Amino acid sequence: MRERARIVTRWGMVIDLDRCTGCVACEVACKSENNIATVPPDQAAMGRAKSWMKVVAEVEGEFPDTSLHFYPRPCMQCDNPPCVKVCPVAATYINDEGTVAQIYARCIGCRYCANACPYTVKYFNWYGPEWADSERQHLNPDVSVRPKGVIEKCTFCHHRLQQAREDARAEGRVLREEDYQPACQEACPTAAIVFGDLENSTHRVRQLKDDPRSMRLMEDLGTAPKVYYLRPRE
Amino acid sequence: MSSRLALSRGFSTVLTWLSPRRRLVWLLGVAVLVVATATVLRAARQAPVSQPIAFNHLIHTRDLELGCEFCHKYVRSGAHSGLPDAENCSLCHRVQLGTSEEAAKLTKMINDGEPLQFNKLFRLADHVFYTHRRHVGIAKLECQNCHGAIADTEQPPTRPLVQITMNLCLDCHRKRELTVDCNACHR
Repeated sequence: MRERARIVTRWGMVIDLDRCTGCVACEVACKSENNIATVPPDQAAMGRAKSWMKVVAEVEGEFPDTSLHFYPRPCMQCDNPPCVKVCPVAATYINDEGTVAQIYARCIGCRYCANACPYTVKYFNWYGPEWADSERQHLNPDVSVRPKGVIEKCTFCHHRLQQAREDARAEGRVLREEDYQPACQEACPTAAIVFGDLENSTHRVRQLKDDPRSMRLMEDLGTAPKVYYLRPRE
Repeated sequence: MSSRLALSRGFSTVLTWLSPRRRLVWLLGVAVLVVATATVLRAARQAPVSQPIAFNHLIHTRDLELGCEFCHKYVRSGAHSGLPDAENCSLCHRVQLGTSEEAAKLTKMINDGEPLQFNKLFRLADHVFYTHRRHVGIAKLECQNCHGAIADTEQPPTRPLVQITMNLCLDCHRKRELTVDCNACHR
């Protein structure tokens, strides 16, 4: 037990913007993996659509020398998360492995965290989830269906980590890098998303995060995100 | 004067302060409150669970020495342990065993091809993600840790023998220095 506590794990992600084609496969994979309910068009127009992983398109430069870049934006899983500081009921907290968790059963829906988050990646359930009966059968049983009135967010597919750990323990081996992949990484056709343990020197994210092209969003805020982006080459 | 008498006298004094009409409203209000509380408490308590066959655990576990896994097939490999179906029972009960009425009923059900559906007794809330595989398959916990003396029952219990609460989980996890991360069970 003591031994296990000494091993520090910090799950993180590196997204190569040069590789991202903006195909939105990650968004779709995330929505289907995490039982993310759709909202009617009028509600979406009010900014109530939910998308734990969102591909944001940015136009850079001035006309006619413009370039379009896509930023896949999951929860940044900050090491210093502003959302955790404002939660009055400890429904959102950062766990030992650096993942910012949201406990739906504890959330009171005050939305402080959604307002505190500079990346706007916390989503409020304005309505209870609605699915057609045919869709209901496709829900992922490993992830809860969030009720009305709670905040939800990207969890780095935490249920997959638990499953991978369980498999590894059952087979009596250690957890390998490829065992735990979030749905977005798995779906990415260009392998723009790399995921792993930032503290483990054998994991690819560890090397990529120290790449000269590496940057994080709104780094000046001091939130210390664990999602790194590799800037597009000129 | 006993305190009880004083209380009732106090209550009737309070009632005389009010006009007859108000008195009625107050009494009705109190009655509604009592009924509402009772309803909520009753709903919070799990409804009694009935079974299609009055299964005798004790005969199977003690006299026949069957393991739990014989009927609860996925207890080591699945999230849910699984309940026996007609096919499972028919391994032995295709012909009538013993003289009990229930055994005769079971054999008849099997031979008539009637579906046999046992009902879950131990239920966790929807926001709790528990797997038997992790606890029984990997950690090798004994069933009675959470299910009590279910193996020694002669009649199917209508209520869980152990109320599985979060404190029950946490006590064990703390004792064994295991994770107490909320996210381990709630997600």
